[in-house]
Amino acid sequence: MISLSDYNHPHSPHSLAVSVKDLGLTYTTSIDKKPTLKARLRTLGRGKKHTRVVNALSDVNIDVHYGAVLGVIGSNGAGKSSLMRVISGIVPPTKGRVEVYGSVSTLLALGVGFNPAMTGRDNVYLGGLAAGMSREDIDQNFDAIADFSELGEAIDAPMRTYSSGMYARLAFSVAAVVEPDILIIDEALSTGDAKFKEKSLNRIKELRSSDRALILVSHALATIEDVCNEVVWLNKGTLMARGNPSEVIAQYRTFVNARKSASSDEDV
Amino acid sequence: MDKPVVVYEPFRAGLPPMRDYLRTLWGRRTFIAEFSRSELREKNYGTVFGQLWLVLNPLLLSGVYFLLIYVIKGSNDANRFGHLTATLFLFYLIANSLTGGVKAITSGQRLILNTSFPRVMLPISATVIALFKFVPTLIVFAAIHLLIGLPYSWQMFWAIPIFLIALLMGLGMSILISCINVYFRDVSSMLPYLTRSLLYLSPILYEASSVSDEIKSLEIINPLFYLLDSWSRVVVYAQAPTTFGLLHSLIWALTIFIVGTYFFLSRERDFAVRL
Repeated sequence: MISLSDYNHPHSPHSLAVSVKDLGLTYTTSIDKKPTLKARLRTLGRGKKHTRVVNALSDVNIDVHYGAVLGVIGSNGAGKSSLMRVISGIVPPTKGRVEVYGSVSTLLALGVGFNPAMTGRDNVYLGGLAAGMSREDIDQNFDAIADFSELGEAIDAPMRTYSSGMYARLAFSVAAVVEPDILIIDEALSTGDAKFKEKSLNRIKELRSSDRALILVSHALATIEDVCNEVVWLNKGTLMARGNPSEVIAQYRTFVNARKSASSDEDV
Repeated sequence: MDKPVVVYEPFRAGLPPMRDYLRTLWGRRTFIAEFSRSELREKNYGTVFGQLWLVLNPLLLSGVYFLLIYVIKGSNDANRFGHLTATLFLFYLIANSLTGGVKAITSGQRLILNTSFPRVMLPISATVIALFKFVPTLIVFAAIHLLIGLPYSWQMFWAIPIFLIALLMGLGMSILISCINVYFRDVSSMLPYLTRSLLYLSPILYEASSVSDEIKSLEIINPLFYLLDSWSRVVVYAQAPTTFGLLHSLIWALTIFIVGTYFFLSRERDFAVRL
């Protein structure tokens, strides 16, 4: 919960950006989609459980250094997003310790804080403020954001009139101008048309610099291999491998294929 | 090596470090303002007719209730109308804060799951919205006050502390109920009955002086009873409020605010996984 402008001091390359030690995350969540007082009263005294414990992460150790681009891969439900939420301070860990040496900006979902009833212009401010920028920061960067989104005059139209591609483009543009020390991007690249996809990938490449750390979560293995210089592979909340991108991705591919063929051999 | 800027460790039950929390909250004040403004805009309050509606709506409401009083009791004096509008408008400040607050957390799911910020911001903006809606009604009341020739005196400055108590009460209720609604989602559907009961149990359609002593002693458990009574004394009759009335509402407001905030802050780190 640190505003971006507070900690804009230079970082020496290769110094620690994020350190995750013995991280464990279990959380209690309600079984019902919507927990209600009615359900609670109806089952009063019957010993029915209303919550269950979810094991999201166990014994995860990761160090991210400045200048590094870390890719995080793994199948659905592997704990990738949970790990990102812990690093960005959205969910507190249950075990272990996470140390963050700099300002963090998260791009866990696109268009957070946007209000479809407002114009694109208003939403740039809303989204920017939600991401922790100050109004002055946004004023300064507004033209850059508008240019990057390529929306033209549509920026003054209400967002509910936008196509989903336009929505995603504006959302990515807001996030892309934030220049934090540590940037976490979760699956945000798979939006927009091919041209904009390439543009956002280029923007991410631009953001790679020696005084910044990037963490990229994606299923697009080719992109990860292209952009990252280190990859971790999570499976069911544990760290399976970390290291050289091509090696880890090869291991992951073998693992996924092995599982796929095993299940396809079964008689259903 | 640098010192870590932020450390996340398993949390113990209880409050987060308050100084950091308040500092971050203060740093986010522009977001609170912008967020509230956009919510208001969404309901068309950005347009001329939308704003006109903000004034018309309370006027129509007080008109309807005045009709009700007239039919039931046959009294139609100006003071009664002044009392009705003044207390009804203040009541709606608190009721709007409650109805806005109840879904503040549950509907802020996307924000909560994807950004880290002091969660208490969301119920606070619900109260800010209620305040935005209250301001035009204050102007309407000033006009009514003038039109029906209600008295003026220096005692009317008591309206300021009473208003602040009401705001604190609304904020406390908003924070408390937004948190309860995370755990029991049906609270939001029970809320209309709660606010309706509060409306009828408080001296709005009637005056506090017309209530029997027995009922009055029961009204101690109604947080709004003496608050609205004091408000009416001050802004309608231009008298000083009673010390008991002031203390009663202040103690209730502080209790609700402190209990609500404690409950909220000690639980807010849990919200992300509960939504």
